[in-house]
Amino acid sequence: MTEEVQKKLQKELEIYSNMQKEYRKAVAQKQQLDGQLNENKAVKDELMLLKKDSEVYKLIGPVLVKQELEEAKQNVTKRMEYISKEVKRTDDHIYALENKQEAQQENLNKLKNDLNKLKIKA
Amino acid sequence: MASVSSAPAPGMQQIDLSKLAVPQLAQLKQQLDQEINVIQESLQTLKMAQSKFHESGQSLEKITPEVKGETILVPLTGSMYVPGTIADIDNVLIDIGTGYYAQKDIESGKDYFKRKVKFVTEQMEKIQNVGREKANILDTICQLLGMKIQAQRSAAPSS
Repeated sequence: MTEEVQKKLQKELEIYSNMQKEYRKAVAQKQQLDGQLNENKAVKDELMLLKKDSEVYKLIGPVLVKQELEEAKQNVTKRMEYISKEVKRTDDHIYALENKQEAQQENLNKLKNDLNKLKIKA
Repeated sequence: MASVSSAPAPGMQQIDLSKLAVPQLAQLKQQLDQEINVIQESLQTLKMAQSKFHESGQSLEKITPEVKGETILVPLTGSMYVPGTIADIDNVLIDIGTGYYAQKDIESGKDYFKRKVKFVTEQMEKIQNVGREKANILDTICQLLGMKIQAQRSAAPSS
C-alpha cells in the first residue's frame, strides 16, 4: 500500500514539475512580448514626432529600404495590436497554469499526508 | 527596455513580519534576494543603454559645418578601415528601434538622444527606489530572523 502511494506521489510530482516548467516558459514569453510592445511603443512615439516629410528607412536584412512615414506608422500600429493580442493570450495562459498548479499542489499535499499516515501505521 | 516586474511587495500586503515563522521568513528573504538581483541586473543594462545614447549624442557634437569634405576613416570591419568623406553634414540616420531608421537633422538628432538619456535615467531612478524599498524590507527580515533564531536557541537548553 505504502509503495503504491509512493509511486503515485512520484508520478504526480513529475506532473507538477512539468507544470512549473511550462509556467516559467509562459512567463518568459510574456516578458519578451512586454519588451517588444514597449519597444514598438517607443518607435511609434518617435514616428509621431517626425515631420511629415521626414525620410524613414526600414532595415530589411542588411539593407535600408526607404518607406513612407504613413506606411511605417501603420505597420507599427498593426504590430502593436498583434503583440497586445499575444500578451493577452499569454496572460490567460499564465492564469490557467497558475490555477492548475494550485490544484496539483493540493493534490500533492493530500498524497503526502496519506503517505505519512501510512508510514506511521506501518 | 526593461520593465519593473509587478510582483507584489511583501510590505504592501500589510503582513506583520514579526508574526511569521522562521521558514516563512527564510522564504521571503530568498525571494527578496532574487528580486534585488533582478533589479541590479536591470540597472546594469539601463546604465549601458544610457552611456550608449550619451555617446551617440556626443558624436553628433563633432559633426559641424567645418568637417564637410574632410577625410574620415570608415570602419568596414572591426579591423579594417577605408577613407571616406562626409558628404551630408546636415542629416543623420538614427535607429529608433525595431528596424526603423529615421532621418533627422543634427539638432533634432541631439534632441533625440537627450530625450532618450532622460527617459533611461528616469527609469533607473524608478528602479532604484523600488530596490531601496526591497533592501529595507530585506534588512528587517534579516534582523527578525536573527532575533527569532537566537530566541529559539536560548529557549532550547532550558526545556
